[in-house]
Amino acid sequence: MIVFSGVSLIYPTSTKTIFEDLSFSISEGELVLVIGATGSGKSSLLRLMNGLVPHHTGGILAGDIIVNGISTREVKPGGLAHLVGIVGQNPLTGFVTDIVEEELAFGMETLNLPPDVMRKRVEEVLDLLSLADLRGRSIATLSGGEQQRVAIGSALVMHPKILVLDEPTSALDPIAAEEVLSIIHRLVHDLSLTVIISEHKLERVIQFADRIIHIKGDAQTQIGTPQEVLRTSDIAPPIIELGRVLNLPDISLSVRDMRRMTESIRKELKPVPSVSTPLPATRMPDVVAVESVSLSYGASPALREVSLTIQAGEIVAVMGRNGAGKSSLLRSIAGILKADRGHITVCGGNPLDLRGNERTKTIGFIPQEPSDLLYGQSVLAECQAADKDNRIANGETFALLEKLVPGISESTHPRDLSEGQRLALALAVVLSAKPQVLILDEPTRGLDYSAKGSLIATLKDSAEAGCTVLIATHDVELVAELTTRTVFIADGDIVADGTTIDVLLSSPAFAPQVAKIMSPAPWLTVKDVVAAIETPR
Amino acid sequence: MTTTSNIYTFRRRSVFALSLASLVSGYCFLWPFFLDAHSSAHHLNNQIFSVVAVPIALGILIVEISNQRLDAKSVALLGVLAALTAALRPMGAGAVGIEPMWFILILSARVFGPAFGFILGILAMFVSAFITGGFGPWLPYQMFAAGWVGLGAGLLPQRLGRIAIRGKTEIFILAIYGIFAAMTFGLLMDLQFWPWALGSHTQISYIPGASIAMNAHRFIIYHFASSMAWDVPRAFVTSTLTVITAPAVLFAMRRTKRRASFLSPIEFTASKEALIERAKEQREV
Repeated sequence: MIVFSGVSLIYPTSTKTIFEDLSFSISEGELVLVIGATGSGKSSLLRLMNGLVPHHTGGILAGDIIVNGISTREVKPGGLAHLVGIVGQNPLTGFVTDIVEEELAFGMETLNLPPDVMRKRVEEVLDLLSLADLRGRSIATLSGGEQQRVAIGSALVMHPKILVLDEPTSALDPIAAEEVLSIIHRLVHDLSLTVIISEHKLERVIQFADRIIHIKGDAQTQIGTPQEVLRTSDIAPPIIELGRVLNLPDISLSVRDMRRMTESIRKELKPVPSVSTPLPATRMPDVVAVESVSLSYGASPALREVSLTIQAGEIVAVMGRNGAGKSSLLRSIAGILKADRGHITVCGGNPLDLRGNERTKTIGFIPQEPSDLLYGQSVLAECQAADKDNRIANGETFALLEKLVPGISESTHPRDLSEGQRLALALAVVLSAKPQVLILDEPTRGLDYSAKGSLIATLKDSAEAGCTVLIATHDVELVAELTTRTVFIADGDIVADGTTIDVLLSSPAFAPQVAKIMSPAPWLTVKDVVAAIETPR
Repeated sequence: MTTTSNIYTFRRRSVFALSLASLVSGYCFLWPFFLDAHSSAHHLNNQIFSVVAVPIALGILIVEISNQRLDAKSVALLGVLAALTAALRPMGAGAVGIEPMWFILILSARVFGPAFGFILGILAMFVSAFITGGFGPWLPYQMFAAGWVGLGAGLLPQRLGRIAIRGKTEIFILAIYGIFAAMTFGLLMDLQFWPWALGSHTQISYIPGASIAMNAHRFIIYHFASSMAWDVPRAFVTSTLTVITAPAVLFAMRRTKRRASFLSPIEFTASKEALIERAKEQREV
């Protein structure tokens, strides 16, 4: 279906080749996963398959790419539109119309298909993606997962033979991501569609992938089955890392297989009485106090009589499904929302009263979209503005950024940064004020493993320096690695509040991969397991 | 060597078509001074403009869009900016001459060039007529005048000798041009409106068939009166908004232009070695 022979690519203004002599072929009905660090060329690879690279972006290409018998050298992207459907990271940026049905028909209009054919195909896709109930809805009112399904639908109506998805789930919460991935899986099996998908959160997709293309940077690539590639790759989900530290003979991709393979090991490794650290016995002063706070948007309540106290230096995760009230809680603590009833005290004062420098020194808030904080015209301008605002030495913020993610060019526009780099910049700007409370709303969307690693390290450092960290997230692996305490919110109520280990282990569905495999032993992360192995008995 | 498509530019044929259309419409703006005595054909002349010049202008657009490879990137840019400019126009509605649209047109034309500016001006006026309900015999005149404003802004020099005009100098030049453009637009609109404006009985009315000097005298008085009310506020608003927004808007537009990689080379080589060789040559150029 797709044949790359000796493909090399370089962009005209760059000195670095993206690919060198890349050859592989993808046959019909394969699901191929593309992995690699941010900026390694995943998007370039995907866009080579429908000719957007180099026809739309410019570039020098060696070798040949044949898509269903057509060479992308000779045919412009428009000539491949009926063959290759492409779905981007943020579906909202790709929509043209307002209504689901119209959006589905739009692509076919441009291909000039007769109306009766269009009607038939719209119905077909509505059924295929279970969108029938949403057909008359306005796209803006749909949830993220539903929007992504509409985006996939509008690619599928053209009856492509190949579907290319560039990080389709990175902006979605786990449930929505699950929904999208299971549909992709079905398309591959029912329609024998060829799917090429790039993704950061490997734990979500590896069990679906037939093969993996690993772009290693330095123009090197590796192609093979998931087992082959993941045996050595530096990008690995916790399940693979666990296999590595336990020296398992084989790589397995699912919790079920791992449990079978580790049966004897689990028996041997008697759980150490408790590796969990209980909540600190020495009472630190309360930094955040929330007293029976209620908040509602119109008729729908977001928080009901919520009470919570947080001590200095704690790292607290706030978990719960979308719309449970996580953001409302964090925003009211940050003093952005005003609670209808109840009191919130942060560092002894009402967060709503904080102004200017006093505010930045007390509370650092990073919203879901970190670029909302960034308005400078370059990374350097942004950092200098932060230096000036916080009256610290020139260059200090940039040095902090360098520590977080090395190698960002000073002159880059903040919007041209990758997700991880943008988050790091926002974090550096906020941390440069040395706030006493740091609040992050879903910071891990779109982050790769290394970016997540440096985020964890930074947050742990700031917590040790006395900063209290509050983080709303869906990412159990992050919660397991980072936080000491977890608050679980459902429908505006706090339904669980305790040490992370207790909260996560009490519900199997929310447990991280390592805990699922090693259960009933109370280990959440690979590090915990390593520690248990190394502990002399 | 091929490249990705250029941003919208005029080819020789379109320059010719544009000149012709501008000549015709220029005549139609100035007809009160040309019309010989005892002629009652001015209505006919006006119709000639509407019937001939507008289709020619739109013809340029259509011919260019279908013949020149105006690709998705240029269309998207043109569409977004035209919609933005058109939407900004009625923002100051009701107030005299305060139409906060000209600065966007001038800044866009500055960054994306005269041809783009011309088409943007025409398109923005046309689209804003949908919003304001401003369809009428004056619309073609407005479209042309706005096109010329864009064209002129695009033709302002980019460099002085070897030094690129950027920063404060650039903003100063654009602000001055904003005043000039606002005044010129007012003059042109007065020219087309004046013959109908006041009936034939006031001291500053158009007198069909009178000598050019007499009509010109009357027009100047009329224009002075109206420009105080309309053109001066327009010039003030335009130049002020230009000065305030130029640093951010010019930066954003130049970034867009860079990111859209117009005229970026597309090449195909046989082997990796040839590719590395070509890339080196490209960088040296």
